[in-house]
Amino acid sequence: MIKLLPLAIALAALSAIATSTSTAADHSGHKMSGMARSGQAELGATALFDAKGVLWAAHKDTGHIVVSYSADLGKSWSTPIRVTPEPEETDTGGEARPKIAFGPGGEIYVTWTRKMTTPYSGEIRFARSLDGGQTFLAPLTVHHNRDDITHRFDVMAINRKGQLFISWIDKRDGIAATKAQASYRGAAVYFAVSDDQGATFRGDFKLADYSCECCRIALAVGIDDTVVAMWRHVFAPNIRDHAIAVLHSDGTAGEVRRATYDDWKLDGCPHHGPSLADDSQGRIHAVWFTQGEKNQGSYYGRLRDGGVELQRHIGGQASAHPDLAIIGQRVAVAWTEFDGERSRLRAMVSENAGESWQEHDLATTTSLSDQPRVLTKDNRFYVFWNTRNEPRSLTPIP
Amino acid sequence: MNSCLTILRRLKFSALLMLLTLPALAVDLRPFDAGSLAKIRQAHAGRPFILAFWSIHCAPCKTELAILKSIQRKYPKFPIVLVAADDPAAKAAVIRYLEKEKVEPMETWAYADEFEERVRYSVDPQWQGELPRSYFFDAAHRLTAHSGIIDPAWVETWMSEQNSAERK
Repeated sequence: MIKLLPLAIALAALSAIATSTSTAADHSGHKMSGMARSGQAELGATALFDAKGVLWAAHKDTGHIVVSYSADLGKSWSTPIRVTPEPEETDTGGEARPKIAFGPGGEIYVTWTRKMTTPYSGEIRFARSLDGGQTFLAPLTVHHNRDDITHRFDVMAINRKGQLFISWIDKRDGIAATKAQASYRGAAVYFAVSDDQGATFRGDFKLADYSCECCRIALAVGIDDTVVAMWRHVFAPNIRDHAIAVLHSDGTAGEVRRATYDDWKLDGCPHHGPSLADDSQGRIHAVWFTQGEKNQGSYYGRLRDGGVELQRHIGGQASAHPDLAIIGQRVAVAWTEFDGERSRLRAMVSENAGESWQEHDLATTTSLSDQPRVLTKDNRFYVFWNTRNEPRSLTPIP
Repeated sequence: MNSCLTILRRLKFSALLMLLTLPALAVDLRPFDAGSLAKIRQAHAGRPFILAFWSIHCAPCKTELAILKSIQRKYPKFPIVLVAADDPAAKAAVIRYLEKEKVEPMETWAYADEFEERVRYSVDPQWQGELPRSYFFDAAHRLTAHSGIIDPAWVETWMSEQNSAERK
């Protein structure tokens, strides 16, 4: 009997070790609820150049959402500045990552998804710095709905008037439909708007019913005071192609229009969302992923009513998670291709708004890697890529 | 007599030990890495089986799991291999989910390599991570891949083909 007790304790300790990879900084334990984190879950990061050309990244560090900055194009980085007062469980891998944006007065905005109790539930969190990133004010939850359900895949944009838009995937309507024994496809896209540099948010405004539940949303700044959103939709009965709509600062939204036409019939989660950007002539360029009946792989195209112009396959068969950015009529797309051992970071550039393209091999890694993001600075394109071996790497596109 | 008592005592101890460790043993979650599919195929050599990937973060996977459970109830001896494509750090949540779902006698595995792309590539280089994802291996291990919730009627047809092939 006496021998048994230590054994039981040892077994309990073993299982604790097996399910925890906590680091010293986790010991405050708030919101960690015994769940461990791993590399992939921590790799989600985004970055943006500020008006002075300093590169700022939002990422995860020892359980916290943090920002770091680099004044030398990613060669060296500041010590991380904490955005979250306590470590917390976040969606920071795969399709989810913290976002960073700058307000017209140099405000630094950060959003992320904090996990809630039940699987795939979450809440959209927001925090801002009004002192150039030295400190962050206490985070707030963006939406008014506080149910323990999916509010995930936050995305943020500032319109031309400096109003802040935050959009996310929300399952409240799907859950209400289930309770009422009604049918509902997927989830919904909601958004909120702040007119006071993120002090308060108006919302929750519904952009669209029937979005995919598990793919990132893309936002671009539109004309006037609008923002344009693109997301993976669930067109009846189960076609997971993309939709696009305009968000207005008064909380209204334009008509939901179909954006891509690949006919991907899927009762499942692609975990593979789009990106979009508009050019100097107001044309909308997009990249996305599909395994549809008509097309399979990663694609680029210009979106117009009722169809896609210049649609073309991106890279090789394994191309994944493309992103794009635009300078005038120049378009740059970056993506990754995994060959079983290495992830290759590749890019293609068009000097003529998507008519013709030149491909470039940028980098490789044998370590874990995040999805790439295309950035612009001084009329040049860069790719931000967070990998285990080279955290927050920045590679210029030739 | 003494040895009898010792055996009895040992039995008691092991019974107690089993009770103590029962929660951990209720779901036998095996570590799935880039070498696991080869082992699974070897274990089911010359026999058909279903390999199904799911995740606690995938709502349609719940529906898929219910379909797989009903198939398993109808064909209790047919091997169905469930693999949780979750971050290895979510192991405790995967176990909790599987305990609640009572998926026995399905084999249960979970990604044990945080390099998800590497594991996925070892299964199928064409697969880009959409879930649920299922593979139907016939006796010769020719496989049919399917993304999204499986159609129960299709599975029923496939199962009857495998059974008739086995009887020949």
